[in-house]
Amino acid sequence: MSDELIPKVKQMIIDSLRIEGMSPDEIETDAPLFGEGLGLDSIDALQLVVAMEKDFGVVVPDAATGTKVFASVRSMAAYIAENRK
Amino acid sequence: MICFMFPGQPLTHDASLPADADFMEIAALAKDRTGLDLASFTWSSGAHTEQVRLQVYGVAMSLHRLRLLLAEGIRPAVVAEHSMGIYPALVACGSVGEGDALEMAFRAGECMERRFRGREYALGCVIGLTEQPLAAISATNGVYPANVNTSRHFLLAGPRAGIEAACGEAAAAGAFSASVFPCDAPLHTPLMAEIGPDLEAIFSDYGYREPCIPLMEHIGQTTLSAARIPAFLVEELCRPVYWERTYRALRTLGATTFREVGVAAALTKFNRWIDSET
Repeated sequence: MSDELIPKVKQMIIDSLRIEGMSPDEIETDAPLFGEGLGLDSIDALQLVVAMEKDFGVVVPDAATGTKVFASVRSMAAYIAENRK
Repeated sequence: MICFMFPGQPLTHDASLPADADFMEIAALAKDRTGLDLASFTWSSGAHTEQVRLQVYGVAMSLHRLRLLLAEGIRPAVVAEHSMGIYPALVACGSVGEGDALEMAFRAGECMERRFRGREYALGCVIGLTEQPLAAISATNGVYPANVNTSRHFLLAGPRAGIEAACGEAAAAGAFSASVFPCDAPLHTPLMAEIGPDLEAIFSDYGYREPCIPLMEHIGQTTLSAARIPAFLVEELCRPVYWERTYRALRTLGATTFREVGVAAALTKFNRWIDSET
């Protein structure tokens, strides 16, 4: 179920963070999004929180949850699958 | 219309420095005018805090990036600055030279380090809350909004105990993130007025040419004239940075392309957020 969401999550990351010159295929599904991976930071995290709510109706209530959710594309997709309305 | 945006002091130092001739020249200038060896990140004489090092480093990296953009033939029609980004922004406008910009950043940083020594201050980065509840939390804890970057991104400054308490309350009130960072001085707050005369003395030591490119300041979103620059350099350290207002004013002015001239991409990310709400 959540695997079907992976391409959509990748596209959401590209769109909401305005990552230029990158296609969804270039984002590794299991790579860390923060730090060494895509190099995202807390400003990006809030942008992703808003995008997830807008695109999937899923709320990330706090940073502690966000740390787990934004660990990778796969964890984001799993969280959306579990929590979408 | 291209806008060059100069960010404030970076929070961290990246040990992998550029190795091109332009950076070597800027590093030599930094060592000569401030005593900081950027390669080893140590002082050739004396000892100063990590914050002073980061201030000089930030200016050096902005100056290097500016050189590269100009070498590519990219020229700004307007220049904007955030906090200590004012020093390299003055270079971009032709108002001061690179050496003076590095030295001013160093002297202002050294002054803050020396005059506030023995007192504990901190910055609090709060993401996710809106301005009103955060203003109330700040007032309760005796700290101040220092940066109003977007509708949901703020930097607080003040005594460390107050910042820690404010960040705790902000997290409890639903902030997505609330982090405490060290600093030498209560930057961008009224508490800085205590060293206002010292800062005035520093900035009066330099000559300022009329900006050849409009330079929009972050307090009232006006363009600076040479005559206003020394007073602004003091004032900007005593008052908050209003980035969202500045970005919107730049847009209204006609800026369409924004190039961040410095370390990382914080201003670009603030702009992205502001655009998403427009």
